[in-house]
Amino acid sequence: MRLWVAIKIAIHDRSSTAGAVLGVVAIIFLVGQQLSVFFGLLNLMSVLPDHSNADVWIMSKNIRNSDSGNLISGAYIDRVIGISEVEWIEPLLIGSALFRRGDGSFEPVRVIGLRRPRIAGGPWSFHSSDEKVLLDLEAVVVDKLDLSKLGHPSLDEIGEIGEKRVRIGAIATGARGFQGTLLFAPLEKVREISKTPPGRYSALLVKLDEKSDKESVIKKIKDILPNCSVFSSQELSSLSRKYYITNTGIGGSFLFSTSIAIMIGVVIITLTMYTSVLSRKKDFALIRAIGGRKRDIFIIVVGEVFFITFIGIFVGFLLLSTLLSYTVNSQIPSYLPLKVAPLLALGAFIVSLIGSLFALKVALATDPASVFH
Amino acid sequence: MSILKLENITRDFYDGRQIRRVLHSTNLAFIPGELVVLSGPSGSGKTTLLSIMGLVLKPSEGKIYLNDKDLTQINDNEAAMLRLKYYGFIFQQHMLIEGLSVIDNILLAYAVQGSKVTAQQRQKAYGLLEKLGLKDTAHMQPLSLSGGMKQRVSIARALIKDPLILLCDEPTASLDAENGITVMKILKKSALEDQRIVLVVSHDSRVFPFSDRLIKIENGKIVSDTKENYQ
Repeated sequence: MRLWVAIKIAIHDRSSTAGAVLGVVAIIFLVGQQLSVFFGLLNLMSVLPDHSNADVWIMSKNIRNSDSGNLISGAYIDRVIGISEVEWIEPLLIGSALFRRGDGSFEPVRVIGLRRPRIAGGPWSFHSSDEKVLLDLEAVVVDKLDLSKLGHPSLDEIGEIGEKRVRIGAIATGARGFQGTLLFAPLEKVREISKTPPGRYSALLVKLDEKSDKESVIKKIKDILPNCSVFSSQELSSLSRKYYITNTGIGGSFLFSTSIAIMIGVVIITLTMYTSVLSRKKDFALIRAIGGRKRDIFIIVVGEVFFITFIGIFVGFLLLSTLLSYTVNSQIPSYLPLKVAPLLALGAFIVSLIGSLFALKVALATDPASVFH
Repeated sequence: MSILKLENITRDFYDGRQIRRVLHSTNLAFIPGELVVLSGPSGSGKTTLLSIMGLVLKPSEGKIYLNDKDLTQINDNEAAMLRLKYYGFIFQQHMLIEGLSVIDNILLAYAVQGSKVTAQQRQKAYGLLEKLGLKDTAHMQPLSLSGGMKQRVSIARALIKDPLILLCDEPTASLDAENGITVMKILKKSALEDQRIVLVVSHDSRVFPFSDRLIKIENGKIVSDTKENYQ
């Protein structure tokens, strides 16, 4: 009955309820949107290790992220392949160059060189054509969302990177980098573009036998290659994300904007719940007078908060999912992992309770004797 | 045999500058089946006395007994439990909760501590509404009722649990003469037929003819306590 009373009061008190619901919606929508951009950016930060299909990355000593490091020797390939648990090892060469657009202007790009025929570490999802085009020395693959930066080249169009002739062989999806436009090409082409000496690579990607103990193999590789950094793909992914979060201000900016969104929600909820409870002090006094305890008032107010939060969360997620469905294929990097949604809902509920503390305090302090005045 | 007894009850209030005694040493005893009217001018201490009797205000001194049990030291939760079990309240304003239907307002008296309302209790509430001439209002909102109807709903809420003690604070003050008389007739009948203590606080002389006992209070002191039939 107490929860029934809470719901009936909330429904009757439409303007206050709508205000408080708006607060919850603001929290879900604004924080959810911030989170989705944040996770979208995280994906960009570690796009190469996350999608390399390799278990281990070998790079130069003291690297701080997956995008930058010194070149390492190709001789290491022979040393690592000798480890019995290693299924394959492939080199990766990352270079920087200028892409010549159709109008004659240039766009800086990062070219990822992949060794044929395995082309490990290459694009993984395609809009047009597929990864086999990289078997052709002149083919490059670019992400669909980066086409506009390159002047909208069409499939099979001939272009120039670092004054070397290339052909747009395939259009990928989800293959965007945090530092700028990524282009995937055969390793030899990238060596030519970046003028890298033979036998030198940016990274070596290692695939292990499924049954092997990854940690022990990584240790073995580290012992063999003391002058290199050796990471599991997950470790390199985390390292890259941490690097960009702390060194680009994205972490701080995200924290700031999320805090503002939460504060807006708390203020709205606090004000509406407070005025709502103030206007119903007589009801609470009556409930106390006819035998209600403080805990009964607590249940009614918290029940009302629960009801309001439930509606707010529902509406908030509805709006958020609409927004995400519109931005999923846009330039805005947005991605909200499913496991974040219940945490966001729980957070909104806790914030709503915090916002209702003042109101609760007023409700609990209601003097039952005031019914006689 | 008195059910409710006050012994040397006093009440002090702090008005921001000094402690002021608003109720001087008061001794009263109430027996079931009588309608008692407590009358006096504004600020005389009627409401304070009523609040103490209703266990919503603690006395500064003295003792209060219910069925010979001393209630002086009870805590808030115990007081709430006793109010739920033994008391019914009718207020000057109807004090119905907007948003709850008439029937829900009545049943709230049962379920305010969270217990489930039974079909029998619901049936009783409908019966009480019928008895009070409000049969068709059960699912209406309080806003759509007249002042007299609202007061009768609040009487139904107070009577639904068959309380031992019914405390009424100016129950006719916001009603016209006709509705006022109707309400007093119901209260009188309730005292007599159900053998309960009905205490009516009022300075409306129209209620006096319904009383079995008239207590007058002035400046926080009982100045007269007479058992006469004014009818």
